[in-house]
Order: sequence, then C-alpha cells, then structure tokens
Amino acid sequence: MKIAIQLVEVLAVFVVIFYLYCRSPAFRPLMPDWPQPRGKFRLYVVFSGIAILGNYLGVPVVEGEAIVNARAVGSVLAGLLGGPVLGILVGLTAGVHRVTAMGGAAALAGAVATTLEGGLGGLVHLWLKRRPEVLMTPGVAFVTTLLGEIMHMGIVLLLTQPHSRAVAVVNAIALPMVAMNPVGAALFMTVLLERQREEDRVAAASSERALKVAERSLELMARGFRPAVASDLATIVREETGVGAVGVTDTLRVLGWSGLGGDHHRPGRPIASPYTKQALASNTVVFADGIRQAYDCTVSPSCPLSSVLIVPLQVDGTVVGTVQLFEPRGRRFLNMNRSLGEGLGALLSSQLLISRYQEQKSLLVLSELKLARAQVNPHFLFNALNTIIAILRRDADRSRELLIHLSNFFRKNLKRSSDVSTLAEEMEHVGAYLEIEKARFEGRIVVETDVDPALATLTMPSFTLQPLVENAFKHGVSSLLGEGRVSIRARRRDGAVVVEVEDNAGAWQGPADGAGLGMQIVDKRVKNLYGSAYGLSVECTAHELTRVTLRLPAEEASPA
Amino acid sequence: MMRALIVDDEVHARDELSSLLRETGAFTLVGSCADAVSALQAIRSGRPDVLFLDIQMPAISGFELLSMIDDAELPRVVFVTAHDEHALQAFEKNAVDYLLKPVSRERLARTVERLRLAPADPEVATRLRAPIGRIPCQSGKAIKLLDAAEIEFARSSEAGVYVVGPRGEFFTELTLRVLEERAGLVRCHKQFLVRLDRVEEVRLDDGAATLRTRSGKDVPVSRRLLPEIRGRLGI
Repeated sequence: MKIAIQLVEVLAVFVVIFYLYCRSPAFRPLMPDWPQPRGKFRLYVVFSGIAILGNYLGVPVVEGEAIVNARAVGSVLAGLLGGPVLGILVGLTAGVHRVTAMGGAAALAGAVATTLEGGLGGLVHLWLKRRPEVLMTPGVAFVTTLLGEIMHMGIVLLLTQPHSRAVAVVNAIALPMVAMNPVGAALFMTVLLERQREEDRVAAASSERALKVAERSLELMARGFRPAVASDLATIVREETGVGAVGVTDTLRVLGWSGLGGDHHRPGRPIASPYTKQALASNTVVFADGIRQAYDCTVSPSCPLSSVLIVPLQVDGTVVGTVQLFEPRGRRFLNMNRSLGEGLGALLSSQLLISRYQEQKSLLVLSELKLARAQVNPHFLFNALNTIIAILRRDADRSRELLIHLSNFFRKNLKRSSDVSTLAEEMEHVGAYLEIEKARFEGRIVVETDVDPALATLTMPSFTLQPLVENAFKHGVSSLLGEGRVSIRARRRDGAVVVEVEDNAGAWQGPADGAGLGMQIVDKRVKNLYGSAYGLSVECTAHELTRVTLRLPAEEASPA
Repeated sequence: MMRALIVDDEVHARDELSSLLRETGAFTLVGSCADAVSALQAIRSGRPDVLFLDIQMPAISGFELLSMIDDAELPRVVFVTAHDEHALQAFEKNAVDYLLKPVSRERLARTVERLRLAPADPEVATRLRAPIGRIPCQSGKAIKLLDAAEIEFARSSEAGVYVVGPRGEFFTELTLRVLEERAGLVRCHKQFLVRLDRVEEVRLDDGAATLRTRSGKDVPVSRRLLPEIRGRLGI
C-alpha cells in the first residue's frame, strides 16, 4: 500500500513535469514536425528524460534489488507517438541507465522489458498510424502500457536469478506497476491532447477574428485611406481584438481612435509618440509590452494606456500610416493579439493597395470624362449650325432662340468646376440639347419628359443625363426612317431613383458599337460614387425599343 | 440649267440647300428627298444631272444609295455633309465635289464651276459598284429593308421590279440590272433573276426549265440562258 501511494506521488510529479513541458515554449504543436529527424530527436530527448526520471523517482524494494518504477510511461509513449525505432531507443536509453547507474538483480530484466515495451508502443503506432484519432487516445495508451507491464513481469520472472528472488521481486512490484503505469500513460496522453486542442482553438479563434476584420474592413478600405474611414476602421479592429484602444494614423497625425483615452487622443492631433515615429521611420512593427518598455502618453498624464503594438500600413513599399493596438495598465498585452495585430497590418496594407488601384482607375475615368466633354461632336455642332442658318431665312426669332440654346449647351459642356449636379441642372443641359435636335429632326421626332418635380434637387455626377439622351438620338431615333420617340422619365422606385431614357429605334448594339464610351463613363462614375448597386443598365428589343435605366440612391447619400 | 436633286434626311438642310441652289441660277430643282426610296423614284422620274447627296442618313447612307442607282440613270454626285471624315471615301467614289455644311454661297459657286468644266465620266459608274446588303422595298407606306441574302428571286413586270423571298414579294425601286450586278442574283430569264443557292429543284422542259426555290416558288429559265444556269448549278 505504501508503495502504491509512493508510486502515485511519482506519477503526480511526472504529470506536473510533463504539464510544464507542454506549457513551455519548447513544446511545439505536435503533428507537423514529427516525421522530420529534428522532431524525432526532440521526442527522443524528452521521453528518454521522462523514462530516466521514472528510474530516479522509483521506489526500491526487495533490499534494493528492484525498483518500483514508472519508466514504462516514457518508452511506451515514445513508441506510440514516434514508432518502434523511437520507442526502442528510449527504452534502451532508460534501460542502460537503469543497469549502469542503479544496478540490482532485476535491473537487466527491467532494461530488456522497458526496451520491449517501447517496441510494443511502436507496433501499436504502426498498426494505428492511419487513424491518429484512435492512436492518440488515453485508452490506447492505457491498454498498451498495461500489456507492456504484464510482459515486463514475465520478463523479470524469466531473466532474474535465482528464481525465488524473481518471484519475490514480482510479488513486490507487479501490483503497483501494472496498476500505475497505464494510468500514468493515459494521464500523459490526456495532457498532451488537451494542450494540442488548446493550440487549435487559439489558432481557430485568431483566424476567425482576422477573417472577420478582413470582411468588415474590405468595403471600408475600398474607399481609400482617409479620416472618415479611419475611425470606423479603429472601431472594427477594437471590437474584433477586444484590446483597450485602437488608433489609426497617417504619417503625420491621428486619423481615427476608438476606445480608452479617446478624450485626448483626438483625430487630427499630430503624432507625438516616439514609438509611432519609430514605426513610421523604419517601416517595422514596434511593440512596447508595458513592463520592460512602457508606452508613456505624451498628451495626457492621466492616460490609462501602457502597452502598445504599432503596425505600419504600407502601399507599394511606402509607409502611409499605422494601426496601433493599446492595452491599459494592469492588462497584459495578449500574445494572440500581438500576432493578430501584425497580421492585420499586412491585411489592411493589401486592402489599401486594392483601393489605391481603384482610385487610380477612377482618376482615369475622370480624365476620360474631361476628354469626352471637351470633344465636341462635330456632326452635332455643324448640323445644328446648318439648321439654324436654314431657319434664319424664315424665322429670325426662332434661330436666335436656337443659338442661345446652343450656347447654353456648350457653356455647360465646358464648365468643369463642379462634379455634382442636381437633376434639375441636368435636365436643363439636356433641354438645350433637345431643342436643337428637335429643330434638326423637325417633324420626325417626338420627345416626352416625365420627371417627378420632387426629384429636382436629387444630386448625381454632373454630365450624367446628357450622354444617355445623346445616345438615344445618335444611336437611336436618328437612324429611323419613320417617326422617332424619345422619353425621359425620372421617378422613385423600390427605394431608389430610376431615370429612364427610352427610344423606339431598338438599335442598341451593345457597348462595342461606339455608343459605349460616354455611357460607360457615366456608369463607372455612378458606381464609384454610390456603389455597385447603382449605375446603368440597357434593355433592347431590336427595332422596337432601347431603354437605358440609371439607378441612383434615393436619399442624398453624401459621397465619401 | 442643270437638273438637280437634293437628298438629305433633315428638312432644314434640304430647305437651305434648295435656297442656295436657286440663288446660283444654275439649277432647276427636280426634287428634294428625305430617304433612299423616294430618291430612287425621283432619279427615275426626274432624270437629274446632279445629285446633292447627304452621307449620314437613316437606314441607307448616301454611299449605299449610290450603289442602288442603275448605271444608266446615274447622275453626277456632289456630297453635302456636316463633317469631313468621309471626304476621302467620297472622292474615291469619284464625286464631283464635296461640300461641308453649313454651305457658303462662294463655295457653292466653285462647285457650279466644277460641274460646268468637268465632263461626265463614263467610268464613274463602275467605280461606284459596291455590293448591296439591304434592299429598300415599299411595304404599304413604310419602307422595308430586306436582307439581300433573304431574296430568292426577282422579277420585273410592267408595274416595276419585285423581289421575292420566304416572307413574300415586295416592290422595289432597284432595277434588275442593279440587283444582278450588286445583290448576288443571277439572270435566268429576261424578266427574272434567281439566287442560285436558294434553288432546290430543277425541272427541265423542252429546252427551257423551271426552278423551284426553297420556299416552293417557281422561277422560269429561258432557253437562251439555260446552258449558263445549268453550268453554274453543275448539272
């Protein structure tokens, strides 16, 4: 009984040591590097240590000729985890140690038995190798060790001389060893599995958080790196990481802040912290853990923040700002948040790169637009002038009016100061164009407009409506032999505003026929400004109808 | 006095040009047309010496219209257009002149000089020959543009020329000669043209023959033209 209690103590010490090992940085998540020689070597060292420890912690019996020991735990587990070679090597190492360093009549038998037990563990490993979920269970460890210990007893009986002594030794050690070693092995396996599961949980949790930030920030970052975006970004990162505060800066000042210290870390303040300056200057992650290196707020002495992780944001290798994660005094900066923060820096940087690319694309759209506006359609101009000259012969007043419409039309075309117009302004521009075209195609074309007066103040990118109406003429009714009809309608529908320009020519050939550019620019600008839910769509029934539909947000969504 | 015909789809452009032409005192205006079909009619009935032709017109462009005019009826051509992007093409078509809208009196006076000095060029007609893709036909009051490939045969009668396809028969202002030369039809009879790849059946009958088209219509082949038709059909 006394021996049994001592053996329980031994196991307790073992489990504690093993638990500490699992917690230490030396422990690596198990599976990946096992098959490599380095991983095997590490396992050999660890389990040999455990087995040898089993020798030292053992309880000598039968006048020191035998030791009630827990060596088997080391060799069986080594075999189970690393295969027969590893099991036998660990068993052999511990056995040699048993014989050379401690001696006794049962030493040789014990050494042989331990080696064979390692081999047995290895055989079970080979048997269940393809089913690790079965191999890595406390049950398998228990049964394997139980069998090993029974075998151990048999070997002691066979190899220990004289036989009477062998019987005495087995009498003394059999019960405690056969009972305790399997329990020990099962406990080891439990600790190991628990540790591995924990590792998996942490990894899963951080990737889940990173993905969540990525998802939430993607649309935000698409709008570019600007103050309006920065506060939202800070909030998202703080909510997902749970740190005390998050700041977002550009290279000069704080752009956004969320969490503790928001009273004095105000957006717009110039950057004061040396850590931030260091991160910006060196384009590296800077970490102050709050113990060895503390974050000292330079703005307010009462600032609760003491540790910080500063991750630079970069586009094309140029630092454009930082994201900073803070913890207050008395809260440890979690390692998990540290690696998450560094990962987020990379993630946000690549999102910024995408948004920069988008921005450049929209700049291109803008220059295309300017080009398109500046390009006066010569057919329109000269035909208009010819029409006016013809009318001048009979009706000087009407030609005067038409000339004024023509000037208004070109004045508006050349005006580039404002990027946004109201629907009323757009209709005015279109109206001047329509007056000229109606005169040109006198008697051949009917224009109907049906615009909800409540929408007069609705804003849209300037120069949006005119290309649609021009398209209805140029690639629509002007190709008709019979009467042409153009309708312009604007109304609310399904929570959006829908502007339709329709003609009865049905001559739309798709964007490839040159009608495209002006309309494509309109579509790109609207989508850039309001998102992909808005923009142009075209329906065409050949020879009957072409309807260009422009969807705009109903509420005056302020363009970012 | 030169007989002039104006073809332009814009009413004010026609009015302006007719005023200008009248002012020169060099022209008698035989008509002013807004589309290709009425232009072909006016050319036949009015026999103009000069055609003032707009290039950009709905459905059938000025260039296409030129291809549809029978060589025997072809007047000299002055293009009148708002923009000079077609100038080169116009001169390849051997236009006498090319006017830009709005037209000035001085510029028009030069055109008159040119018309008086330049002799009518008998070669012009052959250079104007371009394949015709769509054939304008009268369909009630409207103009129907029939795909040339759709036509199985054409026939002329006292009333005029009809093109016939699966969708029926349509009156057209184009002559059989124009259709034969530029619309891929083959003469099989003095009064008939046929599209050979639409022939499904050949019935020989005492030196002459009757062709049956895919949509089941009969087209006569004259004795004189039968050998050629047989040769082309490979029978």
